[in-house]
Amino acid sequence: MRLKNLSVIAFVMVLSALSLGNIFAYGVPFEMNLPDVFHNLFIFLDAVVLLYFLWQGILFKHSYVILFALVQMLLYGAVMLLSPSVVSSDILVDNISSVMYLVINIVGGIIIVFALEYIESETFTRVRKNSFIAMLFFFLAVMNFIVSTNNIEIFFLLFELTTLCSYVLIGYRGDELSKKNALQALWMNQIGGVAILMALIFSILQYDTIYFDVLITNSEPLYLLPIVFLVLAAFVKGASIPFENWLLGAMVAPTPVSAILHSATMVKIAPFLMLKLFPAMSGFVSLTVTLIGTFVFFSASLLALSKDYFKEILGLSTIALLGLMMALAAIGTPEAITACLVLIVFHAISKALLFLQAGILEKSFHLKYVDDIDGLVNRSPLVVFFIIIGFASLTLPPFGAFIAKFMAIESIAGEIHNNPLYVFALIFLALGSVFLTLLYFKVMTKLFAKEADNKSQYVKISKYYTIPSFLLLALLVIGVYISFEREFLSSLELVVPLLLIAVVPLLFATLLFQKADRVKEYNCGEKDEIQLSMYYFHMPRNVQLTISVLATLGMWILVLGVLL
Amino acid sequence: MIEMLLILFAPLIGGLLYGFERIVRARMQNRQGPPLLQPFYDMYKLIDKQAFIVNPYHSILGIMHFVTLWIVVAFIILGQNLLYVIFLHLLSTIFIILAGFSVKSIYSHIGANRELLAMLAYEPILIMMAVGFFMLNGSFDISIIREKEASLFPLFLLFLAYLTVIPIKLKKSPFDATEAHQEIVGGVEIEFSGVFFEFLYMAKWLEYIFVYLLLFLFAGNNILLATALFLIVFLLLNLIDNATARIKMNHLIKIVLGVGITLGMCNLLGLSYV
Repeated sequence: MRLKNLSVIAFVMVLSALSLGNIFAYGVPFEMNLPDVFHNLFIFLDAVVLLYFLWQGILFKHSYVILFALVQMLLYGAVMLLSPSVVSSDILVDNISSVMYLVINIVGGIIIVFALEYIESETFTRVRKNSFIAMLFFFLAVMNFIVSTNNIEIFFLLFELTTLCSYVLIGYRGDELSKKNALQALWMNQIGGVAILMALIFSILQYDTIYFDVLITNSEPLYLLPIVFLVLAAFVKGASIPFENWLLGAMVAPTPVSAILHSATMVKIAPFLMLKLFPAMSGFVSLTVTLIGTFVFFSASLLALSKDYFKEILGLSTIALLGLMMALAAIGTPEAITACLVLIVFHAISKALLFLQAGILEKSFHLKYVDDIDGLVNRSPLVVFFIIIGFASLTLPPFGAFIAKFMAIESIAGEIHNNPLYVFALIFLALGSVFLTLLYFKVMTKLFAKEADNKSQYVKISKYYTIPSFLLLALLVIGVYISFEREFLSSLELVVPLLLIAVVPLLFATLLFQKADRVKEYNCGEKDEIQLSMYYFHMPRNVQLTISVLATLGMWILVLGVLL
Repeated sequence: MIEMLLILFAPLIGGLLYGFERIVRARMQNRQGPPLLQPFYDMYKLIDKQAFIVNPYHSILGIMHFVTLWIVVAFIILGQNLLYVIFLHLLSTIFIILAGFSVKSIYSHIGANRELLAMLAYEPILIMMAVGFFMLNGSFDISIIREKEASLFPLFLLFLAYLTVIPIKLKKSPFDATEAHQEIVGGVEIEFSGVFFEFLYMAKWLEYIFVYLLLFLFAGNNILLATALFLIVFLLLNLIDNATARIKMNHLIKIVLGVGITLGMCNLLGLSYV
């Protein structure tokens, strides 16, 4: 038991050290070819995975899963029949991959350490508990591989493997709802698989290659079908509207799964793929992707305002920020790319921190709904502190997410001169960021709600829970330091808000105003007990429908526009 | 040096402005009005009052609101990045909103809620305004904007949009539902009293300075135009305040957001063709 925990922690440390070493040793992109044995193995694995999907579809009588599994098999067979001649290397590690390694291994690793304690309190058998941890590690491995590959065929296999991982992990509790949501995640992600296979076929037919770098350097503005299909696959993985349901359904899984899906793995494939593809995008594709991305940012934030379940709020805000990341990657100016990378890293840290708190709330306080976390500040100031830092780091200066948003506005403003339609992207961005602020503070206000100075039960939290949170906090602080080094903002602009935010908890702890008399709140002389609840924004069904329709329309425009 | 003095005395200047405004508003209604220094007499009186608090968090957040707002004003005077200043101003608003929610008072909660909604209405307009300046001057830096020629003409629609923001920030009719003294007894202010209310009072004055400093940006390096803009907007604001009735919160959002976004969008589209 002890030994297991120690070895997991040691392994996470090794992974983190390796990914850190990689970023310091960067320079020339690393390229490598895999021997043929591996290629055959990959084909075999592909077949196994697709057969497994088909079997699951038949087992649970889910027609979409069966349909997409069959379609994929058919397309995969077609890909196997074609033989492209232009070759390149299978493995390509560039700067973007290095950044992704950091996110995957360090943030993902911290979440696994957290999961050690979390899974103990579940009612699984010992084997299932251990295999849960193993599954998480497997997920990290697949993610590490997917950001290093240059071969679209291998990319497809790994894409399917992440789908498999998410399917297994979402359905881990094995109850009715978990199974249903897992199957939903499965068929939706299979659409992404179909899109990649389509991209492969078009790429082979037109450019005679299955390698990203060859495809991207040779792509002609008049024939971008492979690029657009890969972009669609990114939208599916990034749970963009209208594919958002799979990520929201993933909430039924144990919290570390949500944490790892949202922050370090899975969804981060979306912006990563966009970052790979942006050099090949024509003006039209880039504009459309930016508009879709910012639209998703805007509408997911809007939808989140009507939610109450803490994890669901976090989920929609992930979808929103992923939309922004994809939009930034599609703009493709150096500034936008930096903003995108900064957002990827900081979003991972902040979201991991918040999801860990969601886990603690569930396990230690049995709380799931925001409305119930009333006055948590009395029971566990530490958790409240982490939640506040988590939200603050997504909105306020001097944290990375703020810097990214700041740079996003700058880069979109710069693009308006080239194409006036970027004005809409800007408006979506401005509105979306205000909605998100509104959303985060809707939750935060609930934490503060405090009765006039009463003492209540103080709850002790396990070390395995708090240490990962502290580590993530440390990462945030390091991030602030790096943004200071890289001069994203002037030192004055960084230090002042940091001081302002830091001074509040200090004052809370020290200033008690002993001399001031305490009074009850003013209630217009009424004696009735009042119950304060949170505010909601009613979101009519047709608004949700309109948003989905518009987003789908955007994607069709993207495909049709390239076809014509 | 002059900048430092300006920053230091910013709350006082705001206080004088507030006092002056009360006289102007009274004269418009054929009243005598209070003396110019009335706000400072109020302050003096507040110091002597017995200090009451509901809980320490509430009071601290109120003080932080004032401190942050002062820093925002300082950053504008020092000519920092406009977009950054707007976001920092957001932080100061967030402090007062959190303060509003930190007490278990109905009026305070409604007020804080309305502050949040008002933020939803004006924040996108401020961001679009910053983008307008960026497209025109190639920089978000206030110091650069101040050195360039007046941008009132090319940014006229955004200027109009900004005019709808001013009454919200200064709690003037018809957009004063956030404070609404007769209905929700001051909203977020209600639970502050004595010394603690002084900080809120001074924050109110700083809000005046913030609003007019942003207004001056439209005049660029033209001091004459800046003075004219100030006088016209000041009189117009009080005239409208006297002549209109409060509108509901949901109407406020619809009007300001609808009008503001449309105007801003047209302006930015126009700029992109220049």
